Amino acid sequence: MRLALAIGTFFILVIHGVVFYNQFFHQWERNQHAYFDQARSLAKTDAERATLANRRPRIEQIVVSNFGETRVDRCTTCHIAADDPRFTTYAEPLKSHPYSAAMGDVQKNGKWERRHKFSEFGCTVCHDGQGRGLEPEYAHGADEYWPDPLLGYTTQAHWRKDFAPKLKGREYMQANCAQCHTDIAFPGTALVTKGRELFFGSNCYGCHRIEGLSDGTIGPDLSDVGKKWKLDYLWGRIADPKSILATSIMPRFNLKDEEIKALVVFLKSRKGRNFAETEIQRFKVKLTGGAELVQATIKPVQINAAEILKQGEKLVLDRACTACHKLGDRDGGIAPDLSQEGLIKDAAWIYDHFKNPKATMPDSIMPAFRFTDDEFKAMTAYLVTLKGAPVTASGEGIYKALCLRCHGEKGDGHGPIAEHLDPYPRDLTKDGFMNSKPEARLVSSVRNGVAGTSMPAWGKLLSEEQAKAVLGYIQTTFTKEPRRELKPRAVPEKNPVAMGKDSVARGEELFVNRCAGCHGKKGDGKGPNSLDILPKPRNLRNSFFVNSVDDKRLFESILYGVQGTAMPPWIDQVSNNDVGDLVNFIRSINQKEKGGQHAAPVQ
Amino acid sequence: MSPATPPKSSFLAALMGLPRNVWHSIFRNPLPSNDLERSSTSFTNFFLHIHPVKVHKNSLRPTYTFGLGLISFFLFVILIVTGILLMFYYVPSTTQAYDRMLDLRGSVAFGTLLRNMHRWSAHGMVAMVFLHLCRVFLTGSYKKPREFNWVVGVILFLLTLFMSFTGYLLPWDQLAFWAITVGTAIAGYAPIVGKDIQFLLMGGTSVGQEALLRFYVLHVAVLPAILTLMIAIHFWRIRKDGGLSRPEDADPKITLEPMESAGAPKASVLEPKKVYGFQGLVRGPLTKVGQVPDNTVFSWPNLFLAELFTFVVTLSAILILSLLFNAPLEEPVNALHPPNPAKAPWYFLGLQEMVSYSAFWGGIGVPTIFVLLLLGAPYLDRGPKGVGKWFSRDRLLANTIFITFVVANIIFVIIGTFFRGANWAFVSPW
Amino acid sequence: MAVNLKRNSGEDSDGGKTSRRRMLGWLTGAGLFGSAGLSAVSNFVFIRPRATYGQPQRFSVGKPEDYPSGTRAILAARGICIVRDGARLAAISITCTHLGCTVGAADTGFACPCHGSRFDQDGNVTGGPAPRPLPWFQITLAPNGEIEVDKDIEVTPGSYLTL
Repeated sequence: MRLALAIGTFFILVIHGVVFYNQFFHQWERNQHAYFDQARSLAKTDAERATLANRRPRIEQIVVSNFGETRVDRCTTCHIAADDPRFTTYAEPLKSHPYSAAMGDVQKNGKWERRHKFSEFGCTVCHDGQGRGLEPEYAHGADEYWPDPLLGYTTQAHWRKDFAPKLKGREYMQANCAQCHTDIAFPGTALVTKGRELFFGSNCYGCHRIEGLSDGTIGPDLSDVGKKWKLDYLWGRIADPKSILATSIMPRFNLKDEEIKALVVFLKSRKGRNFAETEIQRFKVKLTGGAELVQATIKPVQINAAEILKQGEKLVLDRACTACHKLGDRDGGIAPDLSQEGLIKDAAWIYDHFKNPKATMPDSIMPAFRFTDDEFKAMTAYLVTLKGAPVTASGEGIYKALCLRCHGEKGDGHGPIAEHLDPYPRDLTKDGFMNSKPEARLVSSVRNGVAGTSMPAWGKLLSEEQAKAVLGYIQTTFTKEPRRELKPRAVPEKNPVAMGKDSVARGEELFVNRCAGCHGKKGDGKGPNSLDILPKPRNLRNSFFVNSVDDKRLFESILYGVQGTAMPPWIDQVSNNDVGDLVNFIRSINQKEKGGQHAAPVQ
Repeated sequence: MSPATPPKSSFLAALMGLPRNVWHSIFRNPLPSNDLERSSTSFTNFFLHIHPVKVHKNSLRPTYTFGLGLISFFLFVILIVTGILLMFYYVPSTTQAYDRMLDLRGSVAFGTLLRNMHRWSAHGMVAMVFLHLCRVFLTGSYKKPREFNWVVGVILFLLTLFMSFTGYLLPWDQLAFWAITVGTAIAGYAPIVGKDIQFLLMGGTSVGQEALLRFYVLHVAVLPAILTLMIAIHFWRIRKDGGLSRPEDADPKITLEPMESAGAPKASVLEPKKVYGFQGLVRGPLTKVGQVPDNTVFSWPNLFLAELFTFVVTLSAILILSLLFNAPLEEPVNALHPPNPAKAPWYFLGLQEMVSYSAFWGGIGVPTIFVLLLLGAPYLDRGPKGVGKWFSRDRLLANTIFITFVVANIIFVIIGTFFRGANWAFVSPW
Repeated sequence: MAVNLKRNSGEDSDGGKTSRRRMLGWLTGAGLFGSAGLSAVSNFVFIRPRATYGQPQRFSVGKPEDYPSGTRAILAARGICIVRDGARLAAISITCTHLGCTVGAADTGFACPCHGSRFDQDGNVTGGPAPRPLPWFQITLAPNGEIEVDKDIEVTPGSYLTL
């Protein structure tokens, strides 16, 4: 016991001693001693030598409060020769900071003078890193928790191995230059400018918002993305979106490393506020929506009539349409195939869709892009020339070439791009639905398309026989149940109730009581139960669809339900007149003059 | 100086004798060499007088107490010392707190070590206080006459948790911020007063400057004061309740037989010239002098050496931990970007895990029942048997209930710590 | 432990054991008190900041050209007065040596507004309660061509930097 006690206390004494001893020996002191020695050998006068002899190692710091929060930069404790021009040829940490005319340093009488004086700017405002740290690991931000490691110099251990080497290089510091140098084409921040051009050129702005630049709402707001994320995350989100977030719907853009680097630098420069701006300037930018910057960045192509097709093609390919759409062997895996666009859509539709995607497809997720009218026309002109490859005669071949992308390999509607389509593609395995519809209607859906949805009209591509062949293939492969004879249903050909204010009011009341649970109070298909239902309840404000179906079909759907979906038959609970009121109500919310939800293009 | 020739000047004598006199004025006893001096040492020294002069051998059995209460106390002492030192550099401000952490790590001498010691001692204290509580329960030591001291102990345990919890926020990094956000949210599940408690704790609707200041005041002033007072009561009650619990001093031949038939007692059992300390005035078995074998030994040196040894071991362990492992310091607070998953401090992860199943039962129901059971244990479990024995058969039911709660909580803490990934989904740590 | 307890009961019976025990006692004491002493010293090392939170003690005040001959520029924020006299430069403290007020420029040199201490151009006391002349700080021409003042190092009054 006593022996153990003696050993224990001795041990504690040793630990105390070790800790105590360690507190008085630091790497930075050795660096400073080395500097003093070197400087003494370089000194020209005795006075200088005497001064150096007086100096003792200590923590040097630069306190800067001009750039946001007060910065305490102790970098010069180790990099003590940073401002000593005699040390340009020494190795770090005793190397003097290089002079560069590009950074505004000037040479007077053979002596360089800095544009950015260290005593005014400190170090971290340009370089990042942890100004207060005194050990290289922490000071350089190699510690995985430090949000701003030295830009372009320090990579953190947990960064992806294949990205880390690409994240080195002094050009990354341009992101910090741009915190003050906000001029539109500042020569020192070429990568930021290039990144901004790519942000528009690759149509990033369609989905992402950056304050003062763009208003996309599909993706996250990137206004202060540079403050939130480190380089490797930004690079990863662009180069390999799904690797960071499995549910990300961001497409993989066809970008070269150089372009990704420019985008990363541009995004890193988005820190929510620039030091050079005053509050008034910020407010002005907010008022104008950054129009000046946007105009300077987007460079419209001059379209001439002779080369319109070529220019259209170039636009479609260069401006990242295939990041979402499929065209030839490029496939973004998010949006429909454009390969046969000329056969399934006409020029007017394509042009309208470009101008305002929701004008032709009310629930489209496609953003409205900022092209000039001429550019839209050129792209339209190119797209209508696309005829695709001729299709085979076999039902299977047709299905695989045209239908599979949306309806899926198993015909269950879960095709590769299905989750981005609204309405969701039809589940072809539901025999209840397939067998309750007359074949003529199915053929019509294939050949004429379904208005207001992503189902295109294949009529110019598929003959009646081919349509029947593909339906036959679906019937035998997916639906499996053989077709039965349809029982005739008692459905009025025309709405027996006259359209009128009273009828619409009665219809609305009925709708709110009986239908709103799934279809929503507004009829937009987003009722409280809609989340649990697939296929989703029909959006009854999709005017293209509603106006394309006749009263008879609406009556049938309401009275007898839609088999294979959650729509139940109401025939036992409502009279024909009630249905008439309902139909009048549904029609009334889709009337052109009243304006369905998306009927008129939004200006 | 020979005593035969008295000094000419008494002033000179006083001067010569100064060091010796000063020393003796402070330490009234020489190093003890007989029983009288041993007793005297114990009750004339301020720091030793809270101990009895003699202690029961059972109290010194390492496998009975494992020194857990004492370790907790020593950790508390280490926490106070390191905590006061850290206060020299800490600023409870959202703009400065994190920078001060960086300075402690970077430029302040011993900053890293002190922070590490404070952190690991805090975690250690939570663990040790809990183990101490388990020890006391499983040996049935809460029974009469120690009921109230047990209640004080339970309160001390809760205070320790709260103390650690309030300190968790102070570094103002992501870990701290979100752990406290989650932790205070759990408090918000309490019925009726939950939201008020949450609001009172945070001084606002979210964790911010007000919360930081409040937690700081609680951590460095309010809670330590209460904790110190409660510890004093806890220690005082130990003496007043007759020392540590132990089994009946059972030599049935002596205790059960009437005195007349006991025959002549052996000299080793009854020592006529024994010196009695204050324990003669204290309730409890020690006063039964002459009827039981004297199973006590002098505190000096037996108890004091054991205590010193415990202290040395505790301090060594904390020092080694602090040299090997750095206290965590994550990113500066970013209120818009929670880590995924955001986890409470480890000792509340059991709660968080349970809250993920049922907000009310996990956050309030089960913990309240557990604490009420703990507080009520000595008043519900009145059987006199099974005191002073680990896992006594006489206390099978109480021990089973207790162990069930403890093991369940430990399992939940382990699940919450290692098996919960992003979005609180179950993940394998391997 | 139990073994040790038994041994305690037979204390002082064996001389060899006693001396060993005493030695261990001394060792324990030395360890404990040594640690305590080191801790106490460490505490003072700890509370003495290595880097203060104000402006640094060593700083640059610009180029020699900024101070034409005859200048007496008071830099209040830095607590110094830069004196240029021909090719000679000096940095004189403007913190009164009496009770630390900031002295102002006067016709004859410096005057303290608090208790009326007066100093001449070189900082020597000419009146009032100030016990010492104003200190001069080391001033050097840094390799980058700027004047550097180090308030940590005092120099004897009258020692100028000659350009």
